[in-house]
Amino acid sequence: LLPLLPLLLPAAHGIAQLGPRPALTQEQLEGVTTASTFVLEQPRCVFEEYGNAVIWLVVALDKDASNFNNSAGPGTPETEFQSFPDPVRAYMTLNATLGSYPCPKPPGDITVLRVGSETSCAQDVSRPTCNGPLPGPGPYRVKFLALEGSVPVAETAWSVPITLRTAKSPSSIPTTGSGHSAGMIAITAILSILFAILLAALVAMLVFWGSDSCGGSSAFSKPESVTVRRYNTHHVYDQPAARL
Amino acid sequence: MAKSDDCIHILQGLLVFGNVVIGMCGIALTAECIYVVSNPHGPYPLLKATENSDIYAAAWIGIFVGLALFALSILGIIGVIKASRTLLLVYIILMLITFAFEMASSITAATHQDSLTPEFFLKQMLERYQKSEPANDSDNEITKTWDELMRQSHCCGVNGPSDWQEYTSAFRLTHSDADYPWPRTCCVLDAKGLPVNLDGCKLGVPGYYNSNGCYDAISGPVNTHAWGVAWFGFAILCWTFCVLLGTMFYWSGIEY
Repeated sequence: LLPLLPLLLPAAHGIAQLGPRPALTQEQLEGVTTASTFVLEQPRCVFEEYGNAVIWLVVALDKDASNFNNSAGPGTPETEFQSFPDPVRAYMTLNATLGSYPCPKPPGDITVLRVGSETSCAQDVSRPTCNGPLPGPGPYRVKFLALEGSVPVAETAWSVPITLRTAKSPSSIPTTGSGHSAGMIAITAILSILFAILLAALVAMLVFWGSDSCGGSSAFSKPESVTVRRYNTHHVYDQPAARL
Repeated sequence: MAKSDDCIHILQGLLVFGNVVIGMCGIALTAECIYVVSNPHGPYPLLKATENSDIYAAAWIGIFVGLALFALSILGIIGVIKASRTLLLVYIILMLITFAFEMASSITAATHQDSLTPEFFLKQMLERYQKSEPANDSDNEITKTWDELMRQSHCCGVNGPSDWQEYTSAFRLTHSDADYPWPRTCCVLDAKGLPVNLDGCKLGVPGYYNSNGCYDAISGPVNTHAWGVAWFGFAILCWTFCVLLGTMFYWSGIEY
C-alpha cells in the first residue's frame, strides 16, 4: 500500500504548486494601488512547463481565499466578476497563454498586469471574465491558476493580502489656523510702534506750539524776514581824479 | 549764528532730499500696484473665486497712497524751502493719514499672503474642479484655470497626482477611479492635446504623467506680488517716519 500512496497523491491533487506567489509590481509607478485597481507583476518564467495551459488570475477577498475550489470553471455564474463579492466569493479573469509571458523578461521592459482596468464590461453579464474595477478597498488575495481545458494543472500560492487606497473627504482638510508668519507680525508690530511715535510727536509738537522749547533764540528764521541792512558809516565819495 | 545757519541749511537739505525720495517711491509704489492689479496672471481666478482677494484691495490702496505720497512730497519740499508753518502742518497731518492707509495696505498684503496655504488651494480644487453642476461662473473659471495651469506648468494637483487618490472630489463623482486615477490634463500631452501614452499615464509610469504638484507654480507669482506690496510699503513707511520726525523738529523750530 505504501508504494501506491506516492502514485495516488499526485493523481488526487493533480496540481503543481509553483512559486513565487503573485505580488504587487516592484516598479516605481504612481498607480501601484488606487482606490479600485492594483498592479501585479506578470508571472514570467513560472508556468514554463505548461505551454498548453491557459493561465487565469483568481481574485478573492482575503477571508474567502482559502474556500476557493480550483475546479470552479471560469466564465460561469459562480465565478463571474459582475456578482463579486456577493454572492460570488472569487472571480477569475485576465486569461492568457504562455506566449503572453515570454521568459526571460527583457530588461528595461515594464511587465505588469493592471487588475481593474476594464470599466466597459463592469455591468455586462455577457462578459463574466471582465477585468473590472474592484468594488472596495479589500484586502484582496490573488493567485494564478493554469487550466488545460477545464482541468487545473498548476497554480501559485495565494498572494499576501493587498489593500487598496481609501479616499478621505476634502472637508477633513484643515484650512483654518494657518498661523501668522514672522514677517507679518514684524511688519504689524514695527509699523504700529512707528505710527504711535509719530502721533506722540505730533501731540508734543502742537502742545509746545509757539513756546520756545528746543528752538529758543537760535530759532530758524524765515529767509524773507531777514534783512541785512548795510550801514554806510561814511559817505564814500569818489576821490577827485586829480590831487592838487 | 553761522553755525545754526549751517544747521538750518543742512536740515533743510536733508528734508528736501527725504521728500524727493518719498516722491519717487510714491511713483514706484503706484506703478507696482497698478502692475499687481492689472496683471492677468494665472492664479487670479483661483483667488477671486474664494472671495479672498485682499491682495487686490491692498494694491488698490497702494495706488492711491503712492499718488498721495508724490503730491505730499512736493508740498513738503515747498514748505521746507519757504519755512512756512501752515504748509508744513498741513503736510504733517496729511502725511500721517497717508501713513495710516499705507500701514493698512501693507499689513493686509502680508496677512493675505499667509492665508494662501497648500491646504487652501487643495480644498478649493477638490471641491470645485470639474464640478458637474457648476453653481456659478467661478466654478468654470476654476476648472479652466487648473487645466491651463497643469498644461503649462506640467504639474498635477496641488501636492501631486496622489491628491486625487487621497481625497474624494467633485471630479471623482463623474470620473471613475479606474479610468481616471487623475485628470487627463495630468498626462504628458502631445501637440493635439491628447495623452502621449494613456495606459502609461493611468499606471503612473514616470515620463507619461506630471508627477509634481502645482503649488509652487501658484504660490510663486502670488507671493511675489504680496511681498512686493507689503515689504515695499513697509520700507517706504520707515523712510517716511524719519522724514516726518525731521519735519516735526524743523517745524517746531521755525520762528512764528
